[in-house]
Amino acid sequence: MAFIKLNDLEVEVEDGTNVVEAARQHGIEVPHYCYHPGLSRPANCRMCLVEPYVFFPPAGAIVPDRQLATGCTTVLRTAPPDRKLDGKYDFIVQTDSPRVKKAREDILEFLLVHHPLDCPVCDQAGECDLQDFSYRHGHDKSRYLEVKNVPPKKDLGPDVLLYSTRCIVCTRCIRFCDEVSGSGELGLIHRGSHDEIDIPRNHGGAPLQLLDNKLAGNVVDICPVGALISKDFLFKSRPWFMKKTNSICAGCSVGCNITLEYKEDGVYRLKPRFHGEINQHWMCDDGRLGYHYVNSDDRLQLPLKRVDGELTPTHWADALALITEKLLGTEAADVAPEDIVVIGSAQGTNEDNYVLQQFAHDVLKTTQVGLFGQLPGEEHKFPQFTIEADKNPNTAGARTILGAANGNVVLEGDALWERVAGAKVVYLVSGGPERPLEAAESAALEKVDFLVVQDVLPSDVTQLADVVLPGTTFAEKDGTFTNSTGWVQRIRKTIDAPGEARVDWEITQQLAKQLGGEMNYHFAGEIALAIAENVPGYGEATHQKVGDEGVKLT
Amino acid sequence: MSDEIIQIETPFQFTEENRLEFDKLMGRYPVKEAAMLPTLHLAQKQEGYISPAVMRYVAELLEVSLMKVKDVVTFYPMFFEEPVGQYVIRVCHTLPCALRDCKVVLEHLKTKLNTDVAAETDLAKGTTSDGRFTLMKVECLASCDVAPVIMINDDLHRNLTPEKVDEILDNLE
Amino acid sequence: MVQERRILYEHLDVPDINTFDVFRQYDGYKRFEKAINEYQPDDISKMVMDSGLKGRGGAGFSTGLKWSFVPKDIKPCYLCCNADESEPGTFSNRYVLERNPHLLIEGILICCYAMGIETTYVYIRGEFTLGKKMLDAAIAEASAKGYLGKNILGTGLDVDIYTHPGAGAYICGEETGLIESLEGKRGQPRNKPPFPAVEGVFKKPTVVQNVETLCNLPFIVGNGVEWYTQMGPTYGDARFDPPKPDPNTGTKLYCISGDVNKPGVYELDLGLTCTELIEVAGGLRGEEVKAVIPGGSSAPILTHYELDTRLDFTSLTLAKSMLGSGGIIVMNETRNIVDCLLNIMKFYAHESCGQCTPCRWGTPWVRDIVQRIADGKGRQSTITRPKFGIAENGRWGDTGETEEIYEDLDLLESVANNIANVDTMTWNTICVFGIAVSWPAVSYMRKFRPEFEACIREGKLVTLSVAEATMKPEENYAYQQRIIPREME
Repeated sequence: MAFIKLNDLEVEVEDGTNVVEAARQHGIEVPHYCYHPGLSRPANCRMCLVEPYVFFPPAGAIVPDRQLATGCTTVLRTAPPDRKLDGKYDFIVQTDSPRVKKAREDILEFLLVHHPLDCPVCDQAGECDLQDFSYRHGHDKSRYLEVKNVPPKKDLGPDVLLYSTRCIVCTRCIRFCDEVSGSGELGLIHRGSHDEIDIPRNHGGAPLQLLDNKLAGNVVDICPVGALISKDFLFKSRPWFMKKTNSICAGCSVGCNITLEYKEDGVYRLKPRFHGEINQHWMCDDGRLGYHYVNSDDRLQLPLKRVDGELTPTHWADALALITEKLLGTEAADVAPEDIVVIGSAQGTNEDNYVLQQFAHDVLKTTQVGLFGQLPGEEHKFPQFTIEADKNPNTAGARTILGAANGNVVLEGDALWERVAGAKVVYLVSGGPERPLEAAESAALEKVDFLVVQDVLPSDVTQLADVVLPGTTFAEKDGTFTNSTGWVQRIRKTIDAPGEARVDWEITQQLAKQLGGEMNYHFAGEIALAIAENVPGYGEATHQKVGDEGVKLT
Repeated sequence: MSDEIIQIETPFQFTEENRLEFDKLMGRYPVKEAAMLPTLHLAQKQEGYISPAVMRYVAELLEVSLMKVKDVVTFYPMFFEEPVGQYVIRVCHTLPCALRDCKVVLEHLKTKLNTDVAAETDLAKGTTSDGRFTLMKVECLASCDVAPVIMINDDLHRNLTPEKVDEILDNLE
Repeated sequence: MVQERRILYEHLDVPDINTFDVFRQYDGYKRFEKAINEYQPDDISKMVMDSGLKGRGGAGFSTGLKWSFVPKDIKPCYLCCNADESEPGTFSNRYVLERNPHLLIEGILICCYAMGIETTYVYIRGEFTLGKKMLDAAIAEASAKGYLGKNILGTGLDVDIYTHPGAGAYICGEETGLIESLEGKRGQPRNKPPFPAVEGVFKKPTVVQNVETLCNLPFIVGNGVEWYTQMGPTYGDARFDPPKPDPNTGTKLYCISGDVNKPGVYELDLGLTCTELIEVAGGLRGEEVKAVIPGGSSAPILTHYELDTRLDFTSLTLAKSMLGSGGIIVMNETRNIVDCLLNIMKFYAHESCGQCTPCRWGTPWVRDIVQRIADGKGRQSTITRPKFGIAENGRWGDTGETEEIYEDLDLLESVANNIANVDTMTWNTICVFGIAVSWPAVSYMRKFRPEFEACIREGKLVTLSVAEATMKPEENYAYQQRIIPREME
């Protein structure tokens, strides 16, 4: 640990921390644009200038260094005993001296000379570092009388637009494409004040390559100003009108930490949230843009039952009664426990799956438990990021919980479909984006006598169902996901489920109650406590302990 | 705006001689990318300018992304992104030459060649209609003692007057 | 009159000196042979340190000191010879490359021997096609004769020299810009520290030296340190007690251009005055000297009152200017300083690499302000503000006097100082290009303020007489603050 004098604070920071981060840890803002903790540090914006102190032998005193230093590249380290300042400090730095404040003002003035000041029509307004820092550290008027540069607006790729006029050439986006995605589509063109970010184009301006790698959306996040804009979010909402909730991306088994931004009418965008051991600062575009199904108009809003071969809307009591009838009524004599297959979902939370397996074990007394989920996609590896092939957020958790709590074997793949083909009643929980069925799967499901499907969208699966129960997506419920590396992480309810759709474990519990079960959970956290008690490895995975950082399974 | 990618139709390739030259360059640097400037010079000598095909070829040779090449090409004024005349006339107009009336030389060249001065992103503006000459202003050519100076392709011409310029142009084929 | 002392340029005009055989007749490579036969590498470093040789590229940093920063345990270490001579007013390296390339090779060999370097890149500016051709030929010839390549002269020493062409960017003359360019990227300077001596090209320790600096090495080795230190003054640095020696030893290739009768390169001992140099260069072309740029276009200008300044690293620094690369541009009474500044500012606005904020957007801003003044559109306050002070009634208040305000001159000074402050010598930029912009901008404006004011007042480009245009010494900040260093006994 290095012992630092930071303004008038005496603080300890870890060796290797730079001044910007050290200040941030102690509640002091050092404004910066080009510096991003996940990227290299060119120190080109010159915004984070701070005033280091040095020992000046002729004067025998500690004085401000002649030159200001950039906080992002000034790394704090423990000094050898004979090099301590004042006998104890490893470093002395001022972040708010008059010189520093003057330098910030000057840099901000330069940053704004060519800026169009079009905040009223800019998507970034409200979450723009240029706005915020100008307000906090800048001049209140401009002395610039000359003609402004007006570089053109550019289309960079499928989801990214560049408003070059707003660009401050901090090069974060270029460094991202070089260092994290490794695809190198972005670069600068021209020189000096005519510098522009661009993709490769011919002399006439036609693109030779597009910014279309699967991590491209991150450049929009890291752009400190409104230059890089997501087409998906363009002109949709002012940032201050949206509420934000910490959650986990449900797009694949990486489990990227995200902030889910939403209004009453739905989810507006997903932004990555830092997690040092999972996704760093990033997320992929599949996950980022994969939320649209949550807002879909096609979402299942009412239970459906099959009447004359057609799925027809009904009410909950009726739908649940139909199932109860099948299992307890006149035909029930034909249904032995081994004729029932219960299939949990890798899209569902640990809590959903725990209630489901409890239902299977305690109420239905079946050992036929399976696992269902999205079809695998492709794995994409980048220098500093991986998108996994498993497109479910909770395969690991669902598998463990469905199986481990009561020692059941979890059926997957061919074994599952083989079993399903011979079953009389199947209770299948799906979820997530529309899931196409493969031939073998639909063949097996078609043979089922009575198929109950719990899903969020009409799909191949619901088409085969006798009863469809409308469930919820990751944006509409509380719970935990376990990612492929064993991190248990929280998702939170943000928006209300559409229509009469219900949280998946509540549906299961209701069904259990109607069949005489004794389950009585009130909220997801309560189930997590039961999981912690009963599932090996999940001892620490209570909602309190998981928090925003997650818990790594032991 | 469009998402359409332009396909590069006519591929570029080094001649055998230049390929040998390039292989020599490869032995000089511990990383391939370092050979960027000499490789681009070589390609420009062959093709006359850095076309998209050249950029792609160089990017493949040096194992860098296409944009890295474009990035470098647009940074350095000596690389042309569009075809230029057979003779590229660079007129120095920095202070020492300005003190020795480079303006007169430039104006004379403009009238004589009947062309404007090329802009960095618009070389066609300074290229004569017969495609023989491209006239451009450049910064200090480091020959201030013999100012004003111009460079025609690789040759420096010193102590210029309008008469001398005429003589030089007449002596070109 | 001061006499030229040709050392580096001594054999420049010998026919075919660019060939190995002729060069050999004039002691060529004998100094290198002396170095490897008579001295250990560390001896050479010590000689260079003792000689007081300062880098000739611009910054004037002690070469010996620079070498001492290179870690000995990290290999490979590289030498980059900076032949990207682009500073307006400088043209001495061109002649070395075109006419006497073997001298440079010999200098490189001595440096490589001293520092244990096996690979040298000579970064030649792209426009020096002839220079590159000559150097390439000389390298081939030296290799054929066994002076380059593997196991040189059977000593086990390996040195390879490669030429690397630039492509027309001034900023690649900055040492870290050069390194970036050499690595095949945009020539955008790096943050320092780490300095190239510790982490340079390909992330390895790198010595970056100017052509002229390297060409001094054979003579230091050949004739000895004592001979070398006799040339040029050694000052005492008065900040230390007793004064610390501050050598300005050796000869300098002074490049003089502009309004003199015989512009060219003159090799002279460091420390002659500006007046003397103009005399050496055939005298002034014109009636009187209006201004002199002493060290390439980046250097603050000198007025005719300051012509007694000695042209060496220390004296010029203490006179608030710099020797830089030794490019002296002389301007006579017909020249308009606003116009000259505009020319220089256009140069810098064109050459800014655009990497860091203050330089990218400040430099064209300064250019635009100067352009406006030159176009006669500079702003002057129509309302003069009351000047407060002790009024006629003996009380504090409006003195009744008025001040003329030239907003654009204030703005020019302020914007330039925000890029790099010339008074405190601090810059907000990554590299010293920032100060190279604000130095001329502020010094021209402050020292020739009447001419700038006249342009604004008259609404057109007005050239005043030398006496009218120049600020008097008592109003000249640099003249007032300048210190004339004292030579050591």
